[in-house]
Amino acid sequence: MIQNRTEKIIYYGKKLAVFLASMFILSVVVFYVSRLAPGDPLLSYYGERVEKMSVEEREWAQAKLGLQDSLLVQYGRWLENALRGDFGISYKYKMDVVQVIGERIGNTLLLGGIGFVLIFCLALLLGVLCAWHEGRPLDRIVCKAGMISSCIPEFWLSLLLILVFAVNLKWLPSSGAYSLDFADSLGDRMKHLILPVTVVVSGHLWYYAYMIRNRILEEVRMDYVLLAKAKGLTKRSVMFRHCLRNVMPSYLSIMAICVPHILGGTYLIETVFSYPGLGTLTYESARYKDYNLLMILCMMTGITVMLCNLAAQIINEAIDPRMQRGGQTGGSDGP
Amino acid sequence: MGNAEEMNGENMSELVEVKNLSVSFDTPQGEVQAVRDVSFALHSGEVLAVVGESGCGKSVLCKSIMKLLPASAWIKSGSICVNGVDITACQEREMHKLRGRLFSMVLQDPMTSLNPAMSIGMQIEEAVKVHAPKIGKEALRDRVLALMRLVEIDDPEERRKLYPWHFSGGMRQRIVLAIALAGNPQILFADEPTTALDVTIQAQILKLLGDIQGRLGTAAVFVTHDLSVAAEVADRVAVMYAGKIVEIGTTEEIFQDPKHPYTCGLIQALPVFSRGRDTLRAIPGMPPTLVCPPPGDAFACRNECALAIDYEEQPPMFRISDTHYAATWLLDKRAPKIALPVMRIPHEQPKKDQTLTDEARGKQQEILLDVQHLTHRFPLTKRTVLTVVDDISFQVRQGEIFGLVGESGSGKSTVARCVMNLYRPCGDTRISYRGINTCDPGLFREHRKMLQTTRQIVFQDSNSSLNPRMKIGDIITEPLRIWRIIPQRGSLRAEAAFQMHYVGLDAAYLDRYPAELSGGQRQRVAIARALTMEPKLLVADEPVASLDVSIQAQIINLFRHLQKEHGFSFLFIAHDLSMVEFLCDRVGVLYRGKLVEVGETKALFANPKHPYTQRLLSAMPSPFQFLPGRHKFA
Repeated sequence: MIQNRTEKIIYYGKKLAVFLASMFILSVVVFYVSRLAPGDPLLSYYGERVEKMSVEEREWAQAKLGLQDSLLVQYGRWLENALRGDFGISYKYKMDVVQVIGERIGNTLLLGGIGFVLIFCLALLLGVLCAWHEGRPLDRIVCKAGMISSCIPEFWLSLLLILVFAVNLKWLPSSGAYSLDFADSLGDRMKHLILPVTVVVSGHLWYYAYMIRNRILEEVRMDYVLLAKAKGLTKRSVMFRHCLRNVMPSYLSIMAICVPHILGGTYLIETVFSYPGLGTLTYESARYKDYNLLMILCMMTGITVMLCNLAAQIINEAIDPRMQRGGQTGGSDGP
Repeated sequence: MGNAEEMNGENMSELVEVKNLSVSFDTPQGEVQAVRDVSFALHSGEVLAVVGESGCGKSVLCKSIMKLLPASAWIKSGSICVNGVDITACQEREMHKLRGRLFSMVLQDPMTSLNPAMSIGMQIEEAVKVHAPKIGKEALRDRVLALMRLVEIDDPEERRKLYPWHFSGGMRQRIVLAIALAGNPQILFADEPTTALDVTIQAQILKLLGDIQGRLGTAAVFVTHDLSVAAEVADRVAVMYAGKIVEIGTTEEIFQDPKHPYTCGLIQALPVFSRGRDTLRAIPGMPPTLVCPPPGDAFACRNECALAIDYEEQPPMFRISDTHYAATWLLDKRAPKIALPVMRIPHEQPKKDQTLTDEARGKQQEILLDVQHLTHRFPLTKRTVLTVVDDISFQVRQGEIFGLVGESGSGKSTVARCVMNLYRPCGDTRISYRGINTCDPGLFREHRKMLQTTRQIVFQDSNSSLNPRMKIGDIITEPLRIWRIIPQRGSLRAEAAFQMHYVGLDAAYLDRYPAELSGGQRQRVAIARALTMEPKLLVADEPVASLDVSIQAQIINLFRHLQKEHGFSFLFIAHDLSMVEFLCDRVGVLYRGKLVEVGETKALFANPKHPYTQRLLSAMPSPFQFLPGRHKFA
């Protein structure tokens, strides 16, 4: 038992070390790449005024923002501050970046979260439905429709939806997260969410539904399913208790990896719908060289990716104990 | 309806009654008639063995009774009555109520038939709960423990929480059996339940099955291709060929007085019948494909005593006794009286041993392969190491067949791979081939061409050892291309055709892909590939383990021929002891990575010294343990 515990500590210790190392590397890469790219950070801080500034004024402004030191010194300063929890100010909004993000993150989480949950549930449902009706008309129609819809580019679909539902029919708003004066109304927010969520879901749903379908059909052909049927289980119990159970680990890990993917997808959609979320924020910060904001947004994305992977692994271990501790299955079959 | 009562009375003892059942599959090649016009009955409490080569419809027959066939299969005609109820037309809805309670099933491969993500306790529980949904928690637990004790799993209390991958093959098969018995079924279908297991484990499982079957009075249908197993467990035997039952009778009748030439052929192909002979008695040819079965007796083209009518008309079932029926025109009144070969095992003293042993000893053949202190370890984690092969030494002489036997996990294949330089053994291992230490990288590089061309290996699973994207002809001649050797028969294609002809394959297969061939044919391709290089040493790693009896015999005969005519030396690895006994000149017994006994085959089989060898030999199922007039389960 004692050895077991130390092993566990070492295992999680290693995970933590890998996590910290990747975060460090990510921060270095983003820091350097963003500064190497062309553009003027003063533009985001001073706006139009930059063009009228004299050389001395510019130098003074750069010194004020700490942009004149070597990159190494700048990075050292950023890291030191970041470790203390101070991520600097946004050049554009002129306030603490955490505060800037705080205002927007709710919107993105709402859009991405609803989109993710919908994709997760609908994909599972559609996948099982198709597998159940394998080869029958329903399966074929769903598969074909899915393929077509996944081929439609997201921005085009967004524009089309805006055109139809917002411009022509005037049923739904075309942009924003809420109407003026209705900031606290849930109904209004939901109304604004319908179109973006539709685009997010339709872009990803089929891919995952198809994956579920194929994995289930793979499982159905396994021997243990035959034995389960021979036990006298109904088709439904075989499907849900046996097949789905074995499909879930791979589904969950794929879904966990796809969290940042879906978030990334929302970035584009947020831009099209002018939805005030992190997507538009990231886009702006990268475009206008709002270094501090860009850094923290990238770090957040990185943390999300890693946490999701960790979560997937923990869930998988709970479902299938074979995956515990790095997939050691006692394999004595080969080197 | 006057004789309804009579019918009922009859049905009481007849648990399953299958009448004129035909089952077909839809395939891209067309309709495959897997089961053709089969009728039989299973009485309560009896064990019926269904034997035959693979692809003869044995499994399909079982699965069609349980209605577990894939969607591409359908019952074409006939009826299935279970317990007096006609279930031919039953839908899935009604069938799942019968499954588990009326009949249940044990599958061939215990490694894949359990759900890897559920603890075994849960899987057994599930099987209990299906038929007693209202069972209490305590009662459920007790029932699971009782079932586990029934199949002789020790410490059920702790072990029920474990997962299938914690268990060995034999234990898993016990668990599968527990699941099958959970609903107290009246009939147990066992589809090759011991084929994937070692001899010693097979003996245990067979004994367990026999015990339980005797205790619970469950009737059983036992599908197997191994006649010795059938003889060991069955009360009655049905022989299937090309989708039809060609002969059915009690075990004694089938083994002592077989009437159908196919049954005779199967029994004769057992290595015990060829003791002291040069070659095994093999049935020539292969089972026909069932896409368009021949109009007459499907066995006619492989039958030495086929009559003209055999090619034209299907023979009916002729009655020999109340229990014994056979479908062959030889039993017709008008047929010429042909005496089928008498079943007799050659006695302990066969005529002068003709295997090469004596000659080899006489000539003091040089040692071709000398393995000294072979040790191989696999790292499991950073700290623990698994020693798979532990300091073994043996020699293979020129022209000798050296057999290596042992259960799975004893390191047989590792030895083969080390000998072929596929694994790098560790420490002070010395493997000399023609006096060259192949473990020395420098020497190996220097003699690489000679070493790689004159030593060849045939793997067990030809399915995975042949590249599925290459044509057969290319596979066979690939070694020639690699070494830029000019083929002896002019062109590569001619060489491939020659080798295929040599191993008994039609040259028409040259442009086919491995997936289009049957297991036996693929194994021949693998052998042909090895022969192309005209090797001096052929390492055969379980070359016949996955093949049918008759195909096994053909391939073993081929090996014997190669040895006699071409002076090949073999390192023959097998777990089938009777095959080893027949083929090998000397035998080494591996047990947990150690070579526990080495000796001349005859001496070793007659007088095993090591307790493990004794155990192994006694576990060997033999179809002749029973004598006339003695029942297995009295």
